Amino acid sequence: MLDRRSVVSALFLGFAGIFSILSGTVLAQEAPPIRIGFSIAKTGLFASATPAQLNAYHFWRDQVNEKGGLDIGGVKRKIEFVEYDDQSNAASAVKIYEKLITNDKVDLLLSPWGTVSHFAIVPVLERFGFPVIGSTASSVHVRELNVKNMWFVSPSTHDKLSIQLAQMAKEQKVSRAAVIGSVLPQSKEIRNFLVPALEAAGIKIAVNEEYPPDIKDMTALLSRIKAANPDGIFVLSYPADSFLYTRQAKEIGINTPFQWLAIGPTIPAYRKMFGSSVNGIISMGHWSPAQSHWPRAKPFYDAYVARFKEEPDYLDTVLAYMSCEILEEAVAEAGLDKAKLREVINNKTFDTINGPVKFKGVENMTTPVGFLQIQNEQFHIVWPAEISTAPIQPKLNW
Amino acid sequence: MTKATPFLLGLLCFGLLPLTGQDYLIGVSFTLLTWIALTQSWTLLSGFAGYISLGHVVFFGLGGYFVVLTWGILPYWISLPLACLVTFVFAIAISIPVLRVSGPYFVILTFGLAEFVKYVVMAVESHLGQFGRLLLGVPSLATLYWLALFLATLATLITFVIRRSRLGQGLIAIRENEQAAEAIGVPVTRYKTIAYGLSATIPGAIGGLIALRTSYFEPQQIFDPVVSFTVLTSAIIGGSDDVRGPILGAAFLTLLSELLWARAPQLYLILLGILLIVFVVILPNGICGLLRRRAAQA
Amino acid sequence: MTSFFEILTSGQLLLAALITGTIYATVGLGLNLVYGTMRLLNVAHGEFLMLGAYVAFWGFSLFNVSPFLSAVVAGVLTAALAAALYFGMLRWCLRNPRMRKRIEPNSLLIFVGVSIILQNISALSFTGTPRGYQYLSGVMTLGSISISANRLGAFVFCIAICIATLIFLRRSATGLAIKALIQHKEAAEIVGVNVTRLEFFALCAGFATAGIVGALVSMTEQTTPFMGFPFTIAAFIVIIMGGLGNLAGGIVTGLLLGFIETYGVAFTSAAWSSILLYGVFVLALIVRPEGIFTVRQVVR
Repeated sequence: MLDRRSVVSALFLGFAGIFSILSGTVLAQEAPPIRIGFSIAKTGLFASATPAQLNAYHFWRDQVNEKGGLDIGGVKRKIEFVEYDDQSNAASAVKIYEKLITNDKVDLLLSPWGTVSHFAIVPVLERFGFPVIGSTASSVHVRELNVKNMWFVSPSTHDKLSIQLAQMAKEQKVSRAAVIGSVLPQSKEIRNFLVPALEAAGIKIAVNEEYPPDIKDMTALLSRIKAANPDGIFVLSYPADSFLYTRQAKEIGINTPFQWLAIGPTIPAYRKMFGSSVNGIISMGHWSPAQSHWPRAKPFYDAYVARFKEEPDYLDTVLAYMSCEILEEAVAEAGLDKAKLREVINNKTFDTINGPVKFKGVENMTTPVGFLQIQNEQFHIVWPAEISTAPIQPKLNW
Repeated sequence: MTKATPFLLGLLCFGLLPLTGQDYLIGVSFTLLTWIALTQSWTLLSGFAGYISLGHVVFFGLGGYFVVLTWGILPYWISLPLACLVTFVFAIAISIPVLRVSGPYFVILTFGLAEFVKYVVMAVESHLGQFGRLLLGVPSLATLYWLALFLATLATLITFVIRRSRLGQGLIAIRENEQAAEAIGVPVTRYKTIAYGLSATIPGAIGGLIALRTSYFEPQQIFDPVVSFTVLTSAIIGGSDDVRGPILGAAFLTLLSELLWARAPQLYLILLGILLIVFVVILPNGICGLLRRRAAQA
Repeated sequence: MTSFFEILTSGQLLLAALITGTIYATVGLGLNLVYGTMRLLNVAHGEFLMLGAYVAFWGFSLFNVSPFLSAVVAGVLTAALAAALYFGMLRWCLRNPRMRKRIEPNSLLIFVGVSIILQNISALSFTGTPRGYQYLSGVMTLGSISISANRLGAFVFCIAICIATLIFLRRSATGLAIKALIQHKEAAEIVGVNVTRLEFFALCAGFATAGIVGALVSMTEQTTPFMGFPFTIAAFIVIIMGGLGNLAGGIVTGLLLGFIETYGVAFTSAAWSSILLYGVFVLALIVRPEGIFTVRQVVR
């Protein structure tokens, strides 16, 4: 009999049937998403520096997904991120990467932020044989350790960096240098190479001091620098120190024509905060959208600015994006097989927004060590000559 | 034998776990075992004698540092026992001035001491040009796990034995009233020193194990005061008069931590703080005390 | 590198030491008030300072309020928090005979819990990212000494607090009653001092000082959820070495600590500041748990 209950049941069954047929066909057509995991310092000491990298990752994911997904040896799959906050804590990063591999069972991994975190997760990657392209890191130590599962995109390995920096300083007629830096790893490593390099270039070291990583007041230190009257200052800084140094050097009036800050000036907020007073500051970096040798550079820059309404970080965003581009190319050729991935990464020459990249061992041998300078509130590559977009200028008074 | 049965059963289960090959689960159990070992050793002085320490991490850190420094030079099965010796000697060496202080001052002294050692190690590392150290080629998870199981069992046994020994009775007398204990002939200083030294021993090896497990060493991590805080809270929640207490407390905290550490680490610590307050105020004898009261009423 | 002599005679360093010392003295003052009257070992003192710092930071960033004004707000808020703690939990603990017997160690553990809770609630709400802002950061120079205006302002404010407190304790009726309470609780009760009310007042005042100093300190230091620890340690050094409940002794000790730290760092390096702080702390506890300035035994 056609009573209400049987009608409702029939309708229900009908809908269920149609729905399952439809979803069956839909699901059957779409390949499952590919899960890429990473941790990054969303909070903590380094949090002000990491958005540059996070933006690059998200930007890459969205761009790739718009084109249909990541090409895995012929099949396109949409990217899904599994992100964690390691709170600027390397030991947390270690735990998280292990969790990503053994518990979340992700397909691929991206790197965290900063040299220390990259360093810290290396044993985990080696233990599980999981290749990861490094980004915002460089360290001579890992070269010595001969690891098989991480590669460093940044060319600025500190020994090469220091030699180039000393050369540039010498060409700028620096004769008395002040070298100050944090006690954090990257700073210490740079110092270990920079001081001898400067001395070898005939530059006298007038001030050579360290400060704790959470330093809040540099006035005493800067007074000593001012008293020593150097013509070149090298601040081996992390982002927070760069901001602190700039503010206080301006206050005390340290008017030295050559001032180099390791990490910080490439963050967009830096130029926003200090405006034209930081024209002439030099920092690490080897990318500019103005470099016409690299066809991918300008389109990336334009698309990034259109989306985020501000410039990319010329160091971190670029390095992070490059690591994604390399992963993309490698996976297209090798699929997800870890051994094949390692082989491709070791042998192929990749095309990125910063030009070609080829690895020898863990190092990027093709991109040169470079330096950027703020001129008219814009960044220009001022070293080396082969890729420079403008000549270097002395810094005027604050 | 019936009292020991749950322990033996538990031991069996733990021992068989690595055979399942479930890496993540083994990792969690490993963590649990290390907390058990740390809390049991903490109980020796702080639970029995009432000298509550908020700086237990100093032994853990020193042991870990020793293992890290000798990595590549000594095999782990030598460096781990040696780490125990190092921490034991360290504890005995500082016991003379440190144990003079009592009550709440002891609590903050132990905290200050741990922080002091942390900053010294940081300065030493900085001077050596080291920031974090990598440990490549560490023993497998299963090996580390069984070592942790061994140490946790050993720590539990030591606590069990001491509790029933003269030393244990003396320590408890000290907790109730130190002057009275001295008056009736308890060798107060000697007992305290032995307890302090013993409490430092196993944490040394545990520190080494954790360093090997993380395969990455950083002074701030291995001397993290949150470790001390967790041990103390673990003991207070579990109740520290009985070997079951630290096990229960550690189990409870590990479970809580597993739910929260990846996504909401601050929430985990907030809960810990709340639990500490609640237990100090309302349930000073911990879960164990609660269980004992229930058993007594039954 | 600067010479030994240059360090000793540096006016810059002298001023820095004075400022740091005054800040430590003021922080210790608050802790002394709480401990002296109620025997509560507030290891969360630094966290109340941290809360004050955040009040000032958000006050300035969101509403453009001067940190000096925020300091007052911070003081009120931390006092309110103290009151909440008192009515919510502490009063019950103080009345409960079992808890009262072991009030010192118990209060310590409770405040450890409070400390962790406050740190992590802040971390959760504000994230652990260090915060800073520019207020009155123009540098003023007098001869060879330069100092930023905000540091000078904090310095003056702290001096004012210390002096005001000392005068209050010596001259006003309430102040004298508090002094009596600190010296001998039972005797004070006998002569008619309203112990409960004064204890409550001292508690709120003590915590309020922490909040106020926090607001001042936020102008020159980075504000993070974990900034409180070193201040707690400094406060404890002050009360232990200066004599528990001895407010004037505490101020002198605070200044001394400031000098030790500033000159110690100047002779070694910035990385040593924590080693010095905790080293002095450990020594103070081991060597003179009764305090350097205690003349009379404080009767409990």
